[in-house]
Amino acid sequence: MSETPLIHVVDDDESLRTSLLRLLGAAGFEARGYGSTGDFLLQPPPDRPGCVLLDLRMPGPSGLELQAALKRQGVALPVIFLTGHGNVASSVRAMQAGAVDFLAKPVKRETLFEALRRALERDAQERTRREEADQLRARFASLTAREREVVDSVACGKLNKQIAHELGIAERTVKLHRASAMAKLAVGSSAELGRLAERLRALTAE
Amino acid sequence: MLPLSCTEDLVHLPALGPLLVSEGVSDPPSRVEGVSFRRSARSAGRWLAAAAVAALGILVAPPATAAPATSNVLVLYSNERSLPANLEGDRGLLQTVRAPVDRPAMLFYESLGAPRVGGPAFDRIATAYLREKYASRPPRVIVAVSEEALDFLLRHRAELFPEAPVVHTGIDQLPLRSLAPLPADVVGVPVEYGFSPTIDLALRWHPRARRLVIVTGAAEPDRRFEAQLRNDVSAFKDRATTEFLAALPMHAVLRRLGELRGDAVVFTPGMFQDGDGYDLVPQQSVRAMAAAAGAPVYGAFSSHIGTGIVGGYMPSFEVMGRQAGLIVSELLAGAEPGALHLPEFTPQTLNVDWRQLRRWGIDESAIPRDAVVHFKPPTLYETHPNEVLIGTAVIVLQAGLISWLLVEYRRRRVAESAEKTRRLELAHVSRLAVAGELTGSIAHEINQPLGAILSNADAADLILESGTDRRDEVRRILADIRRDGVRASEVISRLRAMLAKHEVECKPFELNEAVREIESMLGTEARRRGLTLAIRPATGPIAVVGDRIQIQQVLINLVLNAMDAVADLPEERRTVVVSMESAAGGVDVAVRDRGHGIAPEHLHRLFDAFFTTKSNGMGLGLSIARTIADAHGGRVWAENGPGEGAVVHVELPVAGATGGPSAVSG
Repeated sequence: MSETPLIHVVDDDESLRTSLLRLLGAAGFEARGYGSTGDFLLQPPPDRPGCVLLDLRMPGPSGLELQAALKRQGVALPVIFLTGHGNVASSVRAMQAGAVDFLAKPVKRETLFEALRRALERDAQERTRREEADQLRARFASLTAREREVVDSVACGKLNKQIAHELGIAERTVKLHRASAMAKLAVGSSAELGRLAERLRALTAE
Repeated sequence: MLPLSCTEDLVHLPALGPLLVSEGVSDPPSRVEGVSFRRSARSAGRWLAAAAVAALGILVAPPATAAPATSNVLVLYSNERSLPANLEGDRGLLQTVRAPVDRPAMLFYESLGAPRVGGPAFDRIATAYLREKYASRPPRVIVAVSEEALDFLLRHRAELFPEAPVVHTGIDQLPLRSLAPLPADVVGVPVEYGFSPTIDLALRWHPRARRLVIVTGAAEPDRRFEAQLRNDVSAFKDRATTEFLAALPMHAVLRRLGELRGDAVVFTPGMFQDGDGYDLVPQQSVRAMAAAAGAPVYGAFSSHIGTGIVGGYMPSFEVMGRQAGLIVSELLAGAEPGALHLPEFTPQTLNVDWRQLRRWGIDESAIPRDAVVHFKPPTLYETHPNEVLIGTAVIVLQAGLISWLLVEYRRRRVAESAEKTRRLELAHVSRLAVAGELTGSIAHEINQPLGAILSNADAADLILESGTDRRDEVRRILADIRRDGVRASEVISRLRAMLAKHEVECKPFELNEAVREIESMLGTEARRRGLTLAIRPATGPIAVVGDRIQIQQVLINLVLNAMDAVADLPEERRTVVVSMESAAGGVDVAVRDRGHGIAPEHLHRLFDAFFTTKSNGMGLGLSIARTIADAHGGRVWAENGPGEGAVVHVELPVAGATGGPSAVSG
């Protein structure tokens, strides 16, 4: 987390947007404003820690629709909704879609900063997890297909003989593959190899 | 020449018999007539004596072959029968004389010609004449008209027809008393004469009159009138000064009368002779005086009515004649003269000439109810009673109907006014309801600037805390805060304007501007509902006179309805368009949506109160819209769009355009 987080403020009300940017700036955040969801989508956010402060109702695609679009595009920034006239239905939908918070305007400074803190923390966590997963994936990516099969079977706790039988290869060949994989993944034991494979599966599943 | 004039007549024959003889009159006929009863009554004592002698004569000489089958009545006039007074009396007499069927009454008329002729010699001749003439048909009853005739009969009755009872008529109470006591078979109803009531009346009817001018003549009866009048006027000396024009030449009288003005009234019984010795017919002398006089003239005899006099209290000769006729009938039927119940006297009645009343400005209300009004044009009712009654009935009915309608109209106005008040109340309630519907948008509109203010204040706070000198930025922040504060307050005042219960205004306002305000009020709502609201203002300014808030209310209502209509449709159809176009004599504001349209069976009921197709609607919005449009001289109607959706039009008159309200009030 060496980079400073960037906060994206999406609100069609220029006055409100300016004041938010001003406040965030004064509080030491780096922030960027967008007048509409379209503006935001046209300028893909740099891969930096951060979050999105999003007005729920805007001309054109609404905040909820932006949230969905971000999700589709794989932009993993956490979203905080700001609304002047939120209702239960839209807040429930927003939260289900992964919004971090749902704030009613006018929002108090402490509430906003608390929400931002939570969002950035979550973003940081996400980011760490994603990096770990990426590293793991990169390490696993160096394995050959056969080595991968062997590693998966080992992770399942199968014996060499079983693996050789299932894959229709000699037991000695299994041992060779496993040793090669352990070398590539830099693990010292079969148990460690299994834990690693399990971890990757968990990260990928999220 | 025979001394008497006579005619005969059979009762019930309508026409009078011809004047057979006219005797002893040297003057032309016009100078003969017009003698009043009063004068006659005073002058003929000798005549009566002569007549009585004549009657005695007849009695002495037994009647020749009589005609027992008839009831002969002899009417003996003191003066010429042709005098207006006598003709009037005769008319009355003929009206009432009735004879038994088996003996029809035969009327014979004789005249003594007083006061022109007379004297003992005449009496003798007259008596003999009558006795001889009626010897074969002696009268069963004799009627003595006026004093001279009665006097004559009383004196000569014994020589004439002593058996026949005498009925006198037209004789004043006073001279009658001088003749009294009358024999039991001489009966009649005396007449009440008197000038004072007439003079009193004249002075009352002309309150400005200070001079009472009395005209009398030079003949013997004239002098008697003068004497009586000089006696009578003493009662009026406090009310007017009295001037007598007595026994003056006629030309002098006329000149003096002509000089009179509004401060005088004239009374005259007429003249038999003027100061130059000319014989006059009293009626004609009065006619000449009334024509010449510059002041109202009052008279004493009913025969003078119509000559130009205003009127006076006078006995009616016709009434007297009728009275005498009744007595004659009783006697013919066999009644005993002494057994008759007769009134004490025939009263004077006030006779007036309607034309003279008008001429001298006498108020109709001053005329006593029992007065006889002559020459009053018959009223329409008198000439056409049925038509007048029907017409009156129609008018009364119509008036009743109109009154009823007016009352109903007023009640309706009151009801309408109450209804209008209720409608305005409803309009207000409806605005509250609209505001309730817009709560979300309103909250958003207010919260946006408040949020900005809060964030800006927080930012300034942090900047100041940081200790760095960033005054320019703080200044900008403060400017923004101010601007947002104004923005929030504008929203609130707009809201207040819409929600306040205000008096209806009638001011000119710019419609485009009013519609743009609606856009800013409803734009947020449109975004909140995720639909597009487009406003297409007119190219030029449109001045409308009326209540801006109410017109906005109408449009807000229509736009919200349109928004409801497209709520559940796909995004591309969630559109509401408000456009303004000039129409004949005004502007047409159309609110279009792309919804499902209005069911044809609902189109005509759309603007009825409490008609709604919404589950939670009250059905008031459109009916209030119509009320408001009506109140502005406009109208509102709905139709389905050409392809899809509905269009609601509001047509309003434009200020200055023909037919539109141009006056500015309030």
